[in-house]
Amino acid sequence: MLNFSLLKSQINSMIREKKEHEERFLKKLGIALKELNLKAESWDELSRKVNLSKTSWLVADFFEPLNRSYPLPLCPPDYKVFASDGSQIFPDRNEALPCYLINIGSVFLQYGADARAKLSSFPSFFYKDEDRFIPWDGRKVPADATVISEKRTLMEFKEVLRLVEECKNRENSVALFDGTLILWRLEGTPEDFKNEIIKPFINVLERLRTFRVPIAGYISFPSSTDVINALRVALCPDRVSYCNQCPYTDLPELPCASIEEVTDRVLFSRVLNPGERSVVFKSSSKILDYYGEHCVHFFYLNVGEEIVRIEVPRWVVEDRGLLELVHSVVFDQARKGGGYPVSLSEAHEQAVVRAKDREFFFELIREALVRSGFKVTVSRKGMSKRGPRI
Amino acid sequence: MTSYVGEVVESSTRRFIARSKNIGESPCFGCFVKTDSNPVVYGVVYEIITESKEPGRRPETYGMSLKELKQAQPQIFELLKTEFHVLTIAYLEKERVVFSLPPIPPTIHSFVYECTREEVKELTSEDFFLRIIISSPNIPVDELIISAIRYSQEARGNDTDYLIRIGKSLARLFKDDYERLSSVLRRVI
Repeated sequence: MLNFSLLKSQINSMIREKKEHEERFLKKLGIALKELNLKAESWDELSRKVNLSKTSWLVADFFEPLNRSYPLPLCPPDYKVFASDGSQIFPDRNEALPCYLINIGSVFLQYGADARAKLSSFPSFFYKDEDRFIPWDGRKVPADATVISEKRTLMEFKEVLRLVEECKNRENSVALFDGTLILWRLEGTPEDFKNEIIKPFINVLERLRTFRVPIAGYISFPSSTDVINALRVALCPDRVSYCNQCPYTDLPELPCASIEEVTDRVLFSRVLNPGERSVVFKSSSKILDYYGEHCVHFFYLNVGEEIVRIEVPRWVVEDRGLLELVHSVVFDQARKGGGYPVSLSEAHEQAVVRAKDREFFFELIREALVRSGFKVTVSRKGMSKRGPRI
Repeated sequence: MTSYVGEVVESSTRRFIARSKNIGESPCFGCFVKTDSNPVVYGVVYEIITESKEPGRRPETYGMSLKELKQAQPQIFELLKTEFHVLTIAYLEKERVVFSLPPIPPTIHSFVYECTREEVKELTSEDFFLRIIISSPNIPVDELIISAIRYSQEARGNDTDYLIRIGKSLARLFKDDYERLSSVLRRVI
C-alpha cells in the first residue's frame, strides 16, 4: 500500500530542490559548450591527452573536430530493417517448478514498392539443469536475473542474425537493436561465463559483417557522459590527467568538476539540428578489449524529438556507405514511429510478457504437473500472494 | 468447394465470430454463411469489425492514401484484424436443414464459407430466419432483415411470388407496427 499524501510532500521538496539546481546546471552546460567549440580545432591534441590520461570514468576518443555535425543523408526508399527485442519470466522460488522463460520478438520491415512486414515472437522455456545452472568461475551456479538477462540479450542478437540470414536480398538493410552493443555488465563476471556470452555474440557480429548488414544499437534518452568526460580531461590543467594522483583535491572545486552532471545528450541538443549526427566517437569501455575489430563506436543523432545515441561496430564506421545508411535509416525509422523506431517498438510489442501472462505461465505449469500426477508444492508465501486474506 | 472466408474464433449457441483471412475483407452484412463444423451451422452476418489485434492499441491517423500507407508503414496491416459476427439461424442434421439452434455451437477454428445460391434458397424458403432475427437482442434487426431478404431474392433471381409471401410473413411478425413494416418493405422492393 502506498501512502500518497505522505509521498506528495516529498515530491514537493524534490521540485523545490530541482529549481535551485537548474540554474547551476545551465551554467555548467554553458562551460561545456564553450569547451567543445574551443577544443574543436586542437582536437588531435586533446585526443592524445585522452589516450595518455588515466581517469576513473569512460572517456570518448575521436578522430575529427568534436563539434562537427553531419547532415542527414538521403534515405533509400526501399530499405529493409531487422529488429528484435526480448523479455523474460524470471525463476520464482515460491513457484512449483524452478524454471524461467525468455520470449523473443522479431520484426522484419521492407519499404518501397515491395513493402511488407513480418512480425513474430517465440518463447523458450528453460527447465533443464544445464539451463538452470551456468558455469561461474569453474562452479555451477543457479541462473539469476543478471545471467538470464545476458542470455536474453544474446538470444536477441541471434534472432536478428536469423532474420538477416533468411532474407535473400540484403541490399540497403540495417539490423536494429534496442540498447547498447557494449555488454559492459559482463565486466565483473568470471572468464568462463563471459566466454559463454561474448564468443557467440562476436560471431553474430562477424556474420553480419560478412553479409555487409550494419548493426546499430539504439539508445533513447541516453545518460552517458563519454564526450563530457573527454571535455573534463580537456579542462584539467595538467598536461596528462592521472585522477588517482589529482593535485587539486584541496581546492573547493576540482577544475574538471565545473561541467560535472552535464550529459552528452544535453550537450548535443545544443549542437545538432534535427536529422544531423555528431562525429563518431570511440568508446573506452573495458569489455571492448574482447571485441577486436568489432570495437563499438557511437554517435549522437537528433531524431527530432530527442537526442539519441547510436552504437555501431568499427567496420560500419570504416565503410562510409554503411555509416550513412545507418544514419538515414535510423532517422527514418524514428520519424515513422513518432520519435522512436517503429521496428523497435513493434519488436517490443511482440516480445513483451505482461503480468497476467506471467501468472498464466505458472498456472499452465502447475496444471500440467497436476494432470500428470506430480505432486505440486507452492510455498505458503506464493499461496498468500494469490489470495490475500482480510 | 470455394475457399473459406473466415475462421471461427469465438463460438456460442446463438452467435459466433469469425476472423477474415485478409484485413477489410468479409462476407457482406446480411450474407448467409455456414461452418464446416459438425454439425454444419448456418447463420447471417450481422456485424463486421476491423480493429487492432491488441486490446490496448488503437489505429492512428496518418493522412496517407492506402497505397502510400502500405509502402511507408507496412507493419500496421499485421496489427489489425477483421472479424464478422454471425447470428445462427439453422444447422444441418442428416442432410436436412433444421431451423433451430444447433445442439452444440460451431467448433473454434472451424472454417466459414459463404452459402451457395441453393443453400440460401433453402435457408430462406420459410420465414424462420426472419423470426430469429426479430427476436435477437442487440443487433440492427430491421437493417438485417432488409439485407437478408435482398440476398434471398438475389438467389431466386427476383421472384415476385416469394417477395409477396415474405411480405405477408413480415406483416404477421411486425403485428400492428405499420410504420415499421412499411419502412422495411419500402426498402426491400
